[in-house]
Amino acid sequence: MGLAIDIVKRNGQRPSENFSQEKLHASILAACLSVRTPVGQAESIAHAVSDSVISWLETKPEVTSQDVRRIAAKHLRTHHPDAAYIYEQHRLTI
Amino acid sequence: MNIASSLAIVALAALIHASFQLSVSVLTLLGGHVIGAKHSQAKVLRLTTSFVFGAGVMTLLLLSFVSLVLLHAFDGNAPQIVWAIGCGLLLGIGVAVWMFYYRRTKGTSLWIPRPIASYLHERTKATTRSAEAFSLGLTSVIGELIFIIAPITISALVLIQLPPLWQLAGIAIYSIISLLSLMIVWVLIGSGHKLSRIQEWRESNKNFMQFAAGSGLIILSFYVYVVEVLGSAVGGV
Repeated sequence: MGLAIDIVKRNGQRPSENFSQEKLHASILAACLSVRTPVGQAESIAHAVSDSVISWLETKPEVTSQDVRRIAAKHLRTHHPDAAYIYEQHRLTI
Repeated sequence: MNIASSLAIVALAALIHASFQLSVSVLTLLGGHVIGAKHSQAKVLRLTTSFVFGAGVMTLLLLSFVSLVLLHAFDGNAPQIVWAIGCGLLLGIGVAVWMFYYRRTKGTSLWIPRPIASYLHERTKATTRSAEAFSLGLTSVIGELIFIIAPITISALVLIQLPPLWQLAGIAIYSIISLLSLMIVWVLIGSGHKLSRIQEWRESNKNFMQFAAGSGLIILSFYVYVVEVLGSAVGGV
């Protein structure tokens, strides 16, 4: 599903793109699985967090990808702190 | 310098090499991607093993290459000026590690050129085969060359003074010890530990790791300088 919201990529180095719920869902799911969460639980957490981010996005015409990550991490922390930590660290590891 | 002292210097240099974190970061990230992509534990093990093997092979090749170049240049007896330059390299990189090794941000981002970091990040995401993981291991060692060049150069200078069999033993000792930190992370990932725990430990101890690596380089530079430069100047130790 592509909401009509422009996502400005990191540092503006790449062109903006439409928000993709699948992409967000996949990244949260991967974070949950990487901390050995069972698949079913990871799927439901990814759905819940994606829905929360979409609610937040509804009033905004344009956001940065870092904003989306920050809000997703905030919601993910309430469901699974370890997964939220890995999600936040993704770009800060190397 | 006798064989035991020479191998002790090689072992200390390899320990300092092991405290550098780029390969460990890439391995942690690789583990996360592979586990997060719902691959089996066997595939996780296969890819991480290939990565560690690749890092080991590149370390071995680098040390062998530098040793060969120095052996051809100085025929097993490097002049004092070369030892002094090697010690200066250790000291300079030691101070640089103290000051700059980690970026002053959250996480474990290192002070390496961002294009190299981005490339490793993208390659880590794209790695799905053992051959790719092996190449990633090779590349991650190249990526931290700016830091590991000092312990490798000093080890090579020490090794070329030894008899051929001990040179091979020294290269093997260096390669194995320099992989210790990678092997620990590999065992932790393979035994089912959570990556968040590994990364949390690395983040909370990064200042200590930085201090230890920098101090190790500086201590090694003073020791080698006293033994090889000052010692020779006053009649040999």
